[in-house]
Amino acid sequence: MRKNSWWLWTAALAAYAFLYLPLLIVVLYSFNDSRLNAEWVGFTLHWYRELIHDTDMLVAARNSLLIAASASLIATVLGTLAGLAIHRYKLRILPVLAVTPVAMPEILLSVSLLLFFNLVFRPWLGLELGMWSVIVAHVTFCIGFVAIVVRVSLLGMDESVFEAARDLGATPWQTFRLVTFPLILPAVMAGALMAFALSLDDFVITFFTAGVGVSTLPLEIYSMIKIAVTPEVNAISTLLMLLTLGMIVLASRIHGKAFGSSGP
Amino acid sequence: MRHLTLLLFWMSAPLHAADVLHLYNWNNYISDETVTRFEHACQCRLVQDYYSDNEEMLAKLAAGASGYDLIVPTGNAVESLIKSGQLRPLDKRQLRHLENIDPAYLDTAFDPGNRYSVPYAYTITLIGYNEQKMRGLGIPTDSWAAIFEPKYLKKLKGRVTVLDSQRELMAAALKYLGYSANDTDEAHWRQARDLIIRAKPYWAAFNASSYIKELTVGNIWLAHGYSNDMFQAQQDARHAKRPFSIAYATPKEGAVLALDSMVLHKSGPRPDLAHRFIDFMLEGRNSAELTNLIGSGNPNRDAMQYIDPAIAANKAVFPTPDIQRRLEMLKDLDRTQRRVLSRMWTEIKVH
Repeated sequence: MRKNSWWLWTAALAAYAFLYLPLLIVVLYSFNDSRLNAEWVGFTLHWYRELIHDTDMLVAARNSLLIAASASLIATVLGTLAGLAIHRYKLRILPVLAVTPVAMPEILLSVSLLLFFNLVFRPWLGLELGMWSVIVAHVTFCIGFVAIVVRVSLLGMDESVFEAARDLGATPWQTFRLVTFPLILPAVMAGALMAFALSLDDFVITFFTAGVGVSTLPLEIYSMIKIAVTPEVNAISTLLMLLTLGMIVLASRIHGKAFGSSGP
Repeated sequence: MRHLTLLLFWMSAPLHAADVLHLYNWNNYISDETVTRFEHACQCRLVQDYYSDNEEMLAKLAAGASGYDLIVPTGNAVESLIKSGQLRPLDKRQLRHLENIDPAYLDTAFDPGNRYSVPYAYTITLIGYNEQKMRGLGIPTDSWAAIFEPKYLKKLKGRVTVLDSQRELMAAALKYLGYSANDTDEAHWRQARDLIIRAKPYWAAFNASSYIKELTVGNIWLAHGYSNDMFQAQQDARHAKRPFSIAYATPKEGAVLALDSMVLHKSGPRPDLAHRFIDFMLEGRNSAELTNLIGSGNPNRDAMQYIDPAIAANKAVFPTPDIQRRLEMLKDLDRTQRRVLSRMWTEIKVH
């Protein structure tokens, strides 16, 4: 028993180190007084000062957050509905419809979306590509993820709970609002966070569907690679990590269950 | 929720302004001062999107992206944009400073008569090196021999990187053998391939992006790469107070020159502003700022007086007429040639 737990600890520590050490190094080098991400020279806040004055980077960060927030919000609503529908109606076509954008290669999805926008939205609605097109594209591939998570959480649930609610006179809407939704809330939250993260770091789909002048952080950073990435990128990554961490803490405050022991 | 909506409105407000010029450019390819001065002069806003590769830009445009007024592609990419009918011809009456451009960079093979393009800046594919190491080992730095000759490479084993690019590496080998960089004779290609295969065991890596860092840190002593990158490595080494210095030189056999030009995209809604921008960038002072920022080659004769004397005196960036004659721009290959080259590249990689 004792030996077992020793192994468990080592394995756990190794796994966490593997997951978090690279992040730690990114953070560490954002304070490094050298343009090179190669060796430690000294402590500085120079890169954060640079960042505050770098309008391109800040606009890209703002766009990324706006897109991720709107896309994850819309995808969560639609994805939850899709998850419920897949669970309720045993139509074989439903899961296929929801999951296809997830399984399809990104490059295919992005080029077809771009063609679609150019063929339908531009001539018929007079809409040029812009931030909206990125949001629509992100919603498209995020819905599937949310739907899957919600569906899985519903699978593990006892149907009799919902039947009991209806027996006691609850309307379908009341059943959903007072019973189903609270039960699947952890899954909805998890899906929303996943959609947010996916949208935030998507490159391929954003690259093709972004309109003129709409840059996001991944696009911005990628275009810097040729000239060597400066610690400014580390600085903005650090800030984003803080933000994500903050969101997770906030989400767990609002609904501890989502991050505590799972299940109803 | 209402607060959120208000916040969204506030955040997206600066995205809409009356006069906006959209520039699709390489990252870090215009100085901030130049942008500010242009925005002041034209009373408009300059919005940039970036690409890191010509193919990336071509792919995006081919897929139907639109709304870019100006693009800054490299020579052969200009040619494919012209061929696919995506460019708007220039109105030269609006370009009063066009005469500032050195005629050596005008009337190129990819755009005869400059109907569509105005030169912006150039880079040369050359060799960058650790000055102290190369001097200490007695290796010549004015020839491709340093990259290809085993008698020199023996002393540099594991300290050399070459570009991970079929065209660029072949061009270097062809030049060293005395052929044109655009030579398409298969026998000559085979000679070049054999030269590369013979040198390959001594190279540390095929490297397209991190050689700036490797040179500056001191892991690599000799690198085949772009003049702008070598300038960056030189600056970085100086700022990091390394015990050595980085220098770069254009081999005497000649090298590849990549000329980036400003072109107007057909879908751009503001050709008027685009012409103003081109004419603005043709003024020596504005053009010089880019060279001072990234060490790029400058085709603008009027710019020389504003360029940092240290850069202006650098023969690798501003070659002597003798070397200049041996610089070549890469032309696109046709399908069959591309296939042959790819096969040779595979042979090189697996050898």
